Amino acid sequence: MELGRLEYLQALVTEFQATDSSEAKEQVLANLANFAYDPKNYEYLRQLQVLDLFLDMLTEESETLVEFAMGGLCNLCLDRANKDYILEANGVEPIINCLSSSNEETVMSAVTTLMYLTTPQSRQQTTALPVVECMLRFSLSASRRLSNLATVFLEDYCTPRQVEEARNLSKHTAVGIPLPKD
Amino acid sequence: MAAGSSSSSGSGGPGDACRHHAQLGVCESRAKYREGRRPRAVKVYTINLESRYLLIQGVPALGVMKELVEQFALYGAIEEYHALDEYPAEQFTEVYLIKFQKLQCARVAKKKMDERSFFGSLLHVCYAPEFETVQETREKLQDRRKYIAKATNQRDCFVLKKAEGPKKTISKNSEGGCPWSTSGSHATSNWGPSCFTTSHGVSHNTGHPSGNRHQSLFTLPQDDNGCAETSGYFGQNTSLTGSVHPGGCTPPTPLMQQRTVPIDNGVERFMPRTTHLQERKRKREEGNKFSLIGTSADNTEVIIGPQLPEIPKVDMDDDSLNTSATLIRSKLKEVADSVSRTSVEKPESSSAKPLVKQRRRI
Repeated sequence: MELGRLEYLQALVTEFQATDSSEAKEQVLANLANFAYDPKNYEYLRQLQVLDLFLDMLTEESETLVEFAMGGLCNLCLDRANKDYILEANGVEPIINCLSSSNEETVMSAVTTLMYLTTPQSRQQTTALPVVECMLRFSLSASRRLSNLATVFLEDYCTPRQVEEARNLSKHTAVGIPLPKD
Repeated sequence: MAAGSSSSSGSGGPGDACRHHAQLGVCESRAKYREGRRPRAVKVYTINLESRYLLIQGVPALGVMKELVEQFALYGAIEEYHALDEYPAEQFTEVYLIKFQKLQCARVAKKKMDERSFFGSLLHVCYAPEFETVQETREKLQDRRKYIAKATNQRDCFVLKKAEGPKKTISKNSEGGCPWSTSGSHATSNWGPSCFTTSHGVSHNTGHPSGNRHQSLFTLPQDDNGCAETSGYFGQNTSLTGSVHPGGCTPPTPLMQQRTVPIDNGVERFMPRTTHLQERKRKREEGNKFSLIGTSADNTEVIIGPQLPEIPKVDMDDDSLNTSATLIRSKLKEVADSVSRTSVEKPESSSAKPLVKQRRRI
């Protein structure tokens, strides 16, 4: 009975790889990302290497593809096996890069994903100084959703010392990652 | 593709129109096998987009807030609700904000009520996470963490220091309860329209930002399991019904499976409950009318005043259920009594609110 589920997901992955239509690509990717919300699908998504597919899409040109892929990662990254997989595939780096996207959803997903990926081992990466600095700026954003999220990040995942350090640093450098539009 | 017909460049503060609230165009170009039961736009849902807060647009300006809230209360306990007067609305419509106690209930309510016709107008229901406080956002993320840990049988290795610390108030809310559990649980008929009618008396200001017209706190005690019957079914299905999902999101066989399993005790209880509640509500309203007439005719409340109809005593076939039912009944009575008492003391107070509402009628 669960075979149907796997086959269906397989069909999606196949279409994603075969199609030339960017529209179809977006739709299928959104489909997969939404399936990634349900833990029931994790096993199959790993089997079909959808995690790699999501990670690959993070460096695409198309903002929409990046948004959907980032959403997919955000949806499945809490699972232990998925988390380990993403960390081992050096997924943190492209996710951090998504923090500078101009698409708010992409940024939101990236922030949440970084929180969920934080482990005692990975925290050096996920809460690196530039990230903390970025969160400081986000916490001042006019978008309440983003500022809430960044505040949780700073309060729960960073030490006061890290925050202090980032604060001092941002005083001295004018450049920073721009806030997302809207 | 179905691009967002984005309006305003407004920021995301509460009260501003948010881009993610603009309804996306329906996707017309989906492959057959990905087609759903309902036409949908292309969108990915994450925990960031979901919220216990629902924004309801397109409510006709007919003074139908009570009816609206009653409709939504069918899907779970509502913690607060009010009109958003400053929120940009179409002509002759109003925008409301409803906060559910549980995310799962908001999910079901959104699914059920979005694009539903309501007094001749189509409602547009969307999550409104921008109304969350930092603490609410934190709890939402933590609940998702707990759910995944439970669903995948893992213990989360990263323990948050602060997340547990300042949590003093969240209590059981995030623990047991419907949000993610898939058990059908016992039917909780303690909330609903019948309670709603009396809840005016217990109005309770929780100081919401932005000074909107704040209405009473619509929440019921001892309802730790707000979503009742519906959660059993939807808990399993939610992620499969995200916007992009075609009906085929689940392959046919599992779908059948899911249908048959949890529904049996759910639906059975659902029907009698609503009819039961409606009956109660009707009776209560009659009773209220009586008490009002009574007070205006005669100031002695003893005779006609608090004579609300007796709520039929139902044996629930279970001692603990009966105990809670009795508790709820006595609470209801207490509240109802206080309502009629205040209406005796100053009869205008109870009619003040409806009056304000009437002015909104066009």
